Amino acid sequence: MKIKLNLFFSLIFVVLFFSACIKDTDFNQTDDILVTPIVELDFLFYNLNSESFTDFGVNNLILSDTTNFNFLNDDFVVDNLIRAEFFFKYTNSLPVDFITEYKFLDENNNPHYEVIIPVGAGTVATALIVEHIENIEGDDIIALTNAEKVVVNIMASAPVDNLEGNLKLQSKTTYYLIIEQ
Amino acid sequence: MKNLITCFFMFWVILFNAQNKQVLYGLEEVPQSMLLNPGSIINYDYHFGIPFLSQIHFNGGSSGVSVYDIFKESGGDINERIRNKIFELKNTDFFTATQQLDILNFGWKNKKDIYFSAGVYQEFDFILYFPKDLAILAWEGNANYIGKEFDLGEISTTGELLTVYHLGINKKITKELTLGVRGKIYSSMLSFRSTNNKGTFVTRTSETDNNIYEHIVNGADINVQTTGIASLEDLEGSQVMSEVLGRAFLGGNLGIGLDLGGTYEINEKWAASASFLDVGAIFYTKDVESYQVKGEYTLDGIELLFPPLGDGETTPPYYDDLIDEIEDTFPVDTLNNSYTKFRPVKFNASVKYNFGKEIGGDEACNCLKMGENQTFNQSVGFQYYNIFRPKGPQIAATLFYYRRFSDHISAKATYTLDSYSYSNLGLGLVANMGWVNFYITADNLQWYQNIAKAKSVSLQLGFNIIIDKE
Repeated sequence: MKIKLNLFFSLIFVVLFFSACIKDTDFNQTDDILVTPIVELDFLFYNLNSESFTDFGVNNLILSDTTNFNFLNDDFVVDNLIRAEFFFKYTNSLPVDFITEYKFLDENNNPHYEVIIPVGAGTVATALIVEHIENIEGDDIIALTNAEKVVVNIMASAPVDNLEGNLKLQSKTTYYLIIEQ
Repeated sequence: MKNLITCFFMFWVILFNAQNKQVLYGLEEVPQSMLLNPGSIINYDYHFGIPFLSQIHFNGGSSGVSVYDIFKESGGDINERIRNKIFELKNTDFFTATQQLDILNFGWKNKKDIYFSAGVYQEFDFILYFPKDLAILAWEGNANYIGKEFDLGEISTTGELLTVYHLGINKKITKELTLGVRGKIYSSMLSFRSTNNKGTFVTRTSETDNNIYEHIVNGADINVQTTGIASLEDLEGSQVMSEVLGRAFLGGNLGIGLDLGGTYEINEKWAASASFLDVGAIFYTKDVESYQVKGEYTLDGIELLFPPLGDGETTPPYYDDLIDEIEDTFPVDTLNNSYTKFRPVKFNASVKYNFGKEIGGDEACNCLKMGENQTFNQSVGFQYYNIFRPKGPQIAATLFYYRRFSDHISAKATYTLDSYSYSNLGLGLVANMGWVNFYITADNLQWYQNIAKAKSVSLQLGFNIIIDKE
């Protein structure tokens, strides 16, 4: 009897042990894992006055500058970025209207995306605030991620010489990423 | 990224289980219980572990999440489950894996009744604390967390692969008291450690009004110490293996340590025991490479200056300057300074009460007589376990029931409360067939119907030859 009891006990243990299994789980669900971070990142900023224009000469109407932005055509961004929302905020206390342009170019200076934002005149007492949201997705995001530099043009509607006030830009981008296998 | 997550989960499934061996502790029929208490009761004259088979131990676990929690078949979207877990886990939750393999283990009693035991075992030990803030940042991004300071100091992980050479002595000092001590030499083959990190990252609304936000890394001080890894980088696959194995034979970074323990048999019914394991340190002097990044930085985008340009002049390299500035702010210092690290000390204690059928003296069935101290065939008791980890001790409390069924079979059942769960059932079985001693112990048995639901599982098994001249 005692031996039978031992055998029974050992058998239960061994059966229990070797019957251990993993069930009701589906590891194929790893294919469904999507990491979807939304990243807020500052973009460009500047703060200009009349001298910024007259440094180029009397009655100069155009300012232009270029910066690389290799971030955009980085492999990780190209593979995973599905939407980018640019937010531009102008504070204009110069009594002049402006047209501002952002041209996104590739390394051979071919344009892939362009944003044009008119900014109305303000006064020193009451600066005009202009906000613009540029939502880029779908085919446009493919175009955008071909670019690696941004050309910024500011065109004044009239000479800015010896005027009081500033044209200020603050901007940021919200990047929507979907990271999958 | 997804591959990384998959690998992580698979790693966690394969390396079930933590360092507590609550079933094996105090299981005196098994010589490997001496590795948990060098002062345990020994009722035989010789033992010899079958090389590589005398103790195979796996232990892996996570304190806050099971495989089933993430990969269950029903229950909605896996991404939602992962997200919920990220927010549910705390930064003190952890993932661990421990593995031990007895290479050699033998012992003998001399004429003065001192039991010597010696051997070599290999151990792998890993712990990763859950870096909750960084997980949120990676999973969700910073958009919904403007103003929140993400703690970079939550990064805390250690890992080590080592061999241990040990020699222990055990002696029954008085009728009540048995004491033991084991000296150890550690040979560390590989190790990494990143603890005591500091710093925060925050995206906040700009206070300077330069731009919309300020992205600030504040007081960052991140370090990673490695040994035995830098020299492997230039080696081929097979060379890596032979190099690492070479270090197993005292060719790695060496250290010394002690195990101390004792058992006090208060009377024939009551006994208490305690042990400290791995009181020692490893001196890392060879192949040491530590990396440290310190710095503070505030990013608020790219400021355009619209400078007047002459012919042939180009615009300032704003972007490249920014990248250079960031890299210069956070230089990676590579250090080769030697250092010393204490081993994670483990503490065990137990109290037990013997009862049941008397198995000593002139009873009809004295075939159960195990030794002069085991006079009853059953016992119940309480065990306490504690391991000192980077973020404080991990504690486990165990209730156990032991029963000796016959000369050949004995078993121990445990119920454990630990960092992983409050309902860990363990069972151990020891079979003695002639000179051959076989044992197998496992815990979290209530989940064996579906291991995926277990937050940790521990398993040890092994074969020994045991000789008792009586």
